[in-house]
Amino acid sequence: MRNVWLIAKREYIERVRSKAFVITTVLVPLIVAGLIVIIIFSSNSEAAGKHIAITSNDAAFAQAVQARMTHGKKNSEMRVDVYAPATDADHAHLESEMNQKKIEGVLTLTVKPGVVQPTATYESHDAADFVTTGILEDAVDRATTERELAGRGMSAAEVDTLLKNVHIETLQSRNGKVEKSSAAGTFWTAYLMAFLLSFTSVMYGMNVGRSVIEEKTSRIFEVMLATVRPEEMMAGKLIGVGAVGMTQLLIWIVGAALLLASPMAVRAMSNGFTVPINGLEVFLFCVYFLLGYLFNSVLSAALAASVSTEQELNQFWPVNVIPIWISFGMISYIITNPNSWLSVAVSLFPPTAPIVMFLRMGARMPPAWQILASVLLLALSIFVMIWLASRIYRVGILMYGKRATLPEIVRWLRYS
Amino acid sequence: MPTVALAHVSKTYDKKVAVNDLSLQIEPGTMFGLLGPNGAGKTSSIRMMIGMTVPDSGAVTLFSKPFERSSLARVGYLPEERGLYKKMKILDQLVLMAQLHGLDAKTGANRAQQWCERMQISEALPKKTDELSKGMQQKIQFISTVLHDPELVIMDEPFSGLDPVNTTLLQDTLLELKAAGRAILFSTHRMDQVEKLCDQICLIDHGTAVLAGSVRELKARYPRNHVVVEFAGSDAFLRDPMIETARNYSGHAEIKLKDGADAQVLLRQAAAEAKIYKFDLKEPSLEEIFIQTVGGRVDA
Repeated sequence: MRNVWLIAKREYIERVRSKAFVITTVLVPLIVAGLIVIIIFSSNSEAAGKHIAITSNDAAFAQAVQARMTHGKKNSEMRVDVYAPATDADHAHLESEMNQKKIEGVLTLTVKPGVVQPTATYESHDAADFVTTGILEDAVDRATTERELAGRGMSAAEVDTLLKNVHIETLQSRNGKVEKSSAAGTFWTAYLMAFLLSFTSVMYGMNVGRSVIEEKTSRIFEVMLATVRPEEMMAGKLIGVGAVGMTQLLIWIVGAALLLASPMAVRAMSNGFTVPINGLEVFLFCVYFLLGYLFNSVLSAALAASVSTEQELNQFWPVNVIPIWISFGMISYIITNPNSWLSVAVSLFPPTAPIVMFLRMGARMPPAWQILASVLLLALSIFVMIWLASRIYRVGILMYGKRATLPEIVRWLRYS
Repeated sequence: MPTVALAHVSKTYDKKVAVNDLSLQIEPGTMFGLLGPNGAGKTSSIRMMIGMTVPDSGAVTLFSKPFERSSLARVGYLPEERGLYKKMKILDQLVLMAQLHGLDAKTGANRAQQWCERMQISEALPKKTDELSKGMQQKIQFISTVLHDPELVIMDEPFSGLDPVNTTLLQDTLLELKAAGRAILFSTHRMDQVEKLCDQICLIDHGTAVLAGSVRELKARYPRNHVVVEFAGSDAFLRDPMIETARNYSGHAEIKLKDGADAQVLLRQAAAEAKIYKFDLKEPSLEEIFIQTVGGRVDA
């Protein structure tokens, strides 16, 4: 055990002292925070600065559409000019403005007597983005509905009341208690945690693989194996690199906790956006992180022991990444069908269990026996992987040259 | 009792016989040379001595006992390729190696300082491995091998990368270790080193021992029919019929006489045709014996 501790300590200290550790610890949260800010900023000013013209044969309708398009904080910076009724000279002028990029596009509305729906076309210089098209459709729909209701005798105030959005307050029943919940919050929390789980367990798993390659190519193994058993080397490496991962995770969790306590986050959450996570889920997150990391890193150690260069190791990258793709690909299905047979099966399958089980927990806490079963299956698969990996490791680390074939690796399993 | 002994040891990898019925033993206070062409089985034999691999048959004895892992604390191993962490500081690496051999960190650090002073490389301690030259790395590798004062020191090409000054320094250090009662085994292609340093040698070819014994006894089996001549002037005497082979390196000639040839006749011939500075009659060098025995498949 002393040797395992010494090797683990070396791995840990060398890695946390490295520039790469500092950069990823600081940079990754900054990038994530930056992305969130960009998403929020861009969603708040989707239509900022857009200049559009409306031409129509019905001035009142065109003005109603103009009012809807500039209504609300999101769209308040849109500029909308109305040409109604529009002459040929107006059309020619607008065509020229569009070509000179002084306006984004022209919305042409034609209202026919006795026909409820106007015909609408939007001509623009660039391909119309879905955000702008969405704003135009909303505005035209709303103006059409208002006109029809007003035509049947409703006042403007009555129309406003009738067409107001109905807000559904979401509640969640947990352990006999009913609490407020946020569907968006649930989704994004689960997504963020799944991202962290996948990113860190694969990254640190590959770090173990790279460390094995480094020691193999620099022949450190030959020196170490004169004193230390291969199993001790592998165990020390797994513990050391895993401890680095846990350290980084802890820094990020503390950072996230501080961020959630910040005024900006408090303001966001007062608008109904909550972060639905409790102590048990944080504990299980750590358990699944550890198990997922061990699974990936033992696999990476075995693969690295069977090759001689980092380039050859990178060819095995899909082996680590495919379970993540499957898990993320199913995220919407799992959130909406957390207890279907498919979700249950994938949450018990060891390579996908850590991420999928956590996604299920975000939507609805699975039965305790399923969580226990997935942890036990994962632990069992890790033990089997360790047995296989240590045999491959013991022989492979002293083999140099071309990459070992599968029959050769099977033979290594039989060597004592 | 021998420090280490291999008794009828064999090892096969797939269909390749790496070591075939090899027996050797190394006594305390002696230096043992393990020689052979590339792929002869030297590294395979060494790996079995230190338990990295297990023989298919035969026995390995270490410190008079069948091999056990606990004995490795008394062994120092220097592999052929340098095995140092590139980005780790030298002092930290030496302390780690000391700790893995059972010393505490403080003792390891003190011994690292002492050895670096002895090997004239103290300036390397705060640096990282990739900041050092090949020769300096080799010296550090050697220090990591002997830091824990092992009773058995096994080295594969220990002089690799060293200039003449550091080669002499290392040779002197090995002789001091030998005088202190350590058993030293080194595997090398440098025949000149072996002749100078080793008490016993074993020459392996295709996994089998083809020559074994003390250097003196081995060389005595061969007649004194090798001559080294240093001269200036005409090299016509090198074409004398009594000479079997002659290699002339700009006035330094290495000659092998035919059986029955009289070296005195050659001396008179050479003196008559050239100015002679040195005429050295001796038995063949270990390199000559090596080449003769393994049939010229040696890499210089």
